[in-house]
Amino acid sequence: MSAPSLTTAPAGPFTVRLRLPWRRLRPVLLPLLFIAGCLAAWQVVANLNPQSRAVLSAPSDVIGVLNKNLPLLLPHLAATARETVAGFALAAIVGMVLGAALAQWRRVQQALLPHLVLFQIVPKIALAPLFIIWFGVGPESRLLFALFLAFFAIASATTAGLSATRPDALRLCASLTASPWQTFFAVRLPFAIPSIFAGLKMGMTMALIGDIVGEFVSGQEGLGYVVMFAAAGADAALTFAALTLLCALGLTVYGVVVLAEMAAERWYGAPFVSEGFHNRKDK
Amino acid sequence: MDTLAMGTILDPPEATAAARQFIQVRGARKVYASGDKSVEALSDVSFDVAKGEFVAILGPSGCGKSTLLMMCGGLEAVTAGVITIAGTPMTAPRASVGIMFQDPTLLPWKTVLQNVLFPARIQHLPEMEYRDRAQQLIDMVGLHGFENKRPHELSGGMRQRVAICRALLNDPDFLLMDEPFSALDAITRDEMNEVLLDIWRRYAKTALFVTHSIREAVLLADRVLMMTRRPATVVADIRIPFGRPRDMSVTEAPEFTRLCTQLRGMIERGTGQLDRRPGDGPILQPGRHGGEE
Amino acid sequence: MTGSRREQLLSIGLPVATAVVLAALWQAAVSLTDIREIMLPAPTAMVAKLNANLPTLLEAALVTGREALAAFALAVVAGFIVAAASSSSQLLRETIYPAIIALQLIPKVALAPLFVVILGIEAEARITFAALLSFFPVLISTASGLSNTDPNAMRLCRSLRASAWQSFWSVRVPFALPHFFYGMRISSTMAVTGVVIAEFISAKQGLGFAILSASAVSKTATVFAAIAVLCALGLGLYGAVAALERLAARWYRG
Repeated sequence: MSAPSLTTAPAGPFTVRLRLPWRRLRPVLLPLLFIAGCLAAWQVVANLNPQSRAVLSAPSDVIGVLNKNLPLLLPHLAATARETVAGFALAAIVGMVLGAALAQWRRVQQALLPHLVLFQIVPKIALAPLFIIWFGVGPESRLLFALFLAFFAIASATTAGLSATRPDALRLCASLTASPWQTFFAVRLPFAIPSIFAGLKMGMTMALIGDIVGEFVSGQEGLGYVVMFAAAGADAALTFAALTLLCALGLTVYGVVVLAEMAAERWYGAPFVSEGFHNRKDK
Repeated sequence: MDTLAMGTILDPPEATAAARQFIQVRGARKVYASGDKSVEALSDVSFDVAKGEFVAILGPSGCGKSTLLMMCGGLEAVTAGVITIAGTPMTAPRASVGIMFQDPTLLPWKTVLQNVLFPARIQHLPEMEYRDRAQQLIDMVGLHGFENKRPHELSGGMRQRVAICRALLNDPDFLLMDEPFSALDAITRDEMNEVLLDIWRRYAKTALFVTHSIREAVLLADRVLMMTRRPATVVADIRIPFGRPRDMSVTEAPEFTRLCTQLRGMIERGTGQLDRRPGDGPILQPGRHGGEE
Repeated sequence: MTGSRREQLLSIGLPVATAVVLAALWQAAVSLTDIREIMLPAPTAMVAKLNANLPTLLEAALVTGREALAAFALAVVAGFIVAAASSSSQLLRETIYPAIIALQLIPKVALAPLFVVILGIEAEARITFAALLSFFPVLISTASGLSNTDPNAMRLCRSLRASAWQSFWSVRVPFALPHFFYGMRISSTMAVTGVVIAEFISAKQGLGFAILSASAVSKTATVFAAIAVLCALGLGLYGAVAALERLAARWYRG
């Protein structure tokens, strides 16, 4: 079972035969081992200490609850997913259109961009109760709050990306007598894609946060509501079960945006951030 | 393709007045407003370029050479004065003017061929026809086999070759080059100069070429305009006595070295001590400032 | 000459004018139509409420501000230390970093009720939760700053036989400062956000509690007034970080 040749490799059937792949697998396996180790430590602590198990639950308990209560949890998962994704999609449309408008008209940008930046900084989360007052405790209210939170990140990233086209690329277009539309689609939009997707990724995270906080405040349905409800009832295993589903949801929706970004890069024939993309614009 | 015989280039008197004054710059001036002050970048620049002539603009860094070039391309407005090309004032960019920038400015998501064809796409030119031409140009600059590579897979010199092809795609009457090789290493730069000389052997285009390399200017140009520091003006107009077709072997001629030395001396003094009339400046008298290297 | 001054004026004047026009439209809409004050109070009503409740609101702001500041300080110190540790060893970096990125993607906000269950409804729970939220931005941007030192500077250090400790403090940290401050700016917003969310869930005082309790009895003008104070608080913390960043930039650019 010993592995003298590989100090960092885990002992076991792994060692000798997989010596070369280990180099490549290392970046994937190390974090997975780390997470597995954390879970194992959690389980051990819970097994040794029943008091902490009551508060912190244990991975085995969480899996048990997930198994048993999945039919109950799934509708909540669906509600959260629906509102998050719908809120995000609307925020993406509105945010990208407004961001493009801001980038296109300098005066509009001068008038509105400072407000956009300001809204990025202030704790917008505090507006959650207002959305309940305005739109009730139903799903619309949470959807709109998710939209509201996601919008600013997407709009300002779109504006930033579209405004940061390399000046020499713009000069090239001008010298070729390109129309503003041609310049937009041929040069400015492709150059802005990394920035727009950075905004979309941020926006997706914000939409989910918005929906969860909306669920905290309105308390009707959704995984955020389950977390709150279970925590209030001191049901640690159920709390963690709902949190697990939320994590899975968060990673999935984020993954979808990453896939869309990869598709866009393929379409344009990536890589976007090639030589001199960022460090040359100061010229 | 070989539209112009060598004689036309080197023998202006035989050309018509219109061809002799293909590009006319008259009293061009540029003032930038910065803060509460205004900075005069160019003051009263005048010169002519004949059709088919390759003119290099030589001067210290930041003297406003690039500004002058951008004004000739219609990319910057003149504060005062007039620039006309083929008789019409240059107020906006034209499709018949090709421009090369210091940076190759290739679109990173397009292949070499797509980058070369970019002007055709913007100007709605028939793609199929220009595809062949693009391929010819790519072959000519020695990039055969790289058509489907993307810019990040190319070296700096190769990228600049692609930029040359792009500038030549729609067969412009007039080519503007803004220090196109200044970011390249010396060896690559020599290679690029050879590529340019080769191109001029085939298509004798009218060209304005901005550089701060004396050697490059003497090697490539038919005439060199010397500019001073800010506010920049043209202080000397020097005819280069080498004929065409030309190749790197001229750099070995003693006259080449002598010319370079004298031009360097002029830059150091900051004035042109030569005949200022455009067109007919005799070559310098060697030895007058013999103390300089 | 006058052109650039005009631009300067416009870049300040246009946003201010936009804000004034929007406020005026809002005021007009409220007074001309019969929107109930519960739905949308007029700006003047909000200012009046702000004036009337200022002492209570400031007291609440003090509570929230203290907790946010404590959480922020904790997050910055912890984030810097973990970033320094993880950038010092490749094994640590490869092990921890992907897990941290994954944690960054999942909605940590949902953990708020758990903190209340485990740590109770006192300030510690809110501070710990807010610190957790604001810890990640500092950690991630500092780590990326520390691992992006100019390789030539590192070579210089090696040629001078500088110790790891010396090259860390005299080269890698200064190079990472812009990243560090960028992370701090984001963290300052997250700290306030975290405290407010925790107050929504558990508190009996603070601005989050004020907002939630006023909204529960439909005192919308008070909600707006409290949000305004909270925004001022958030901007204050953010501005302090930005000012600190300027100071540091001046020091290290000379």
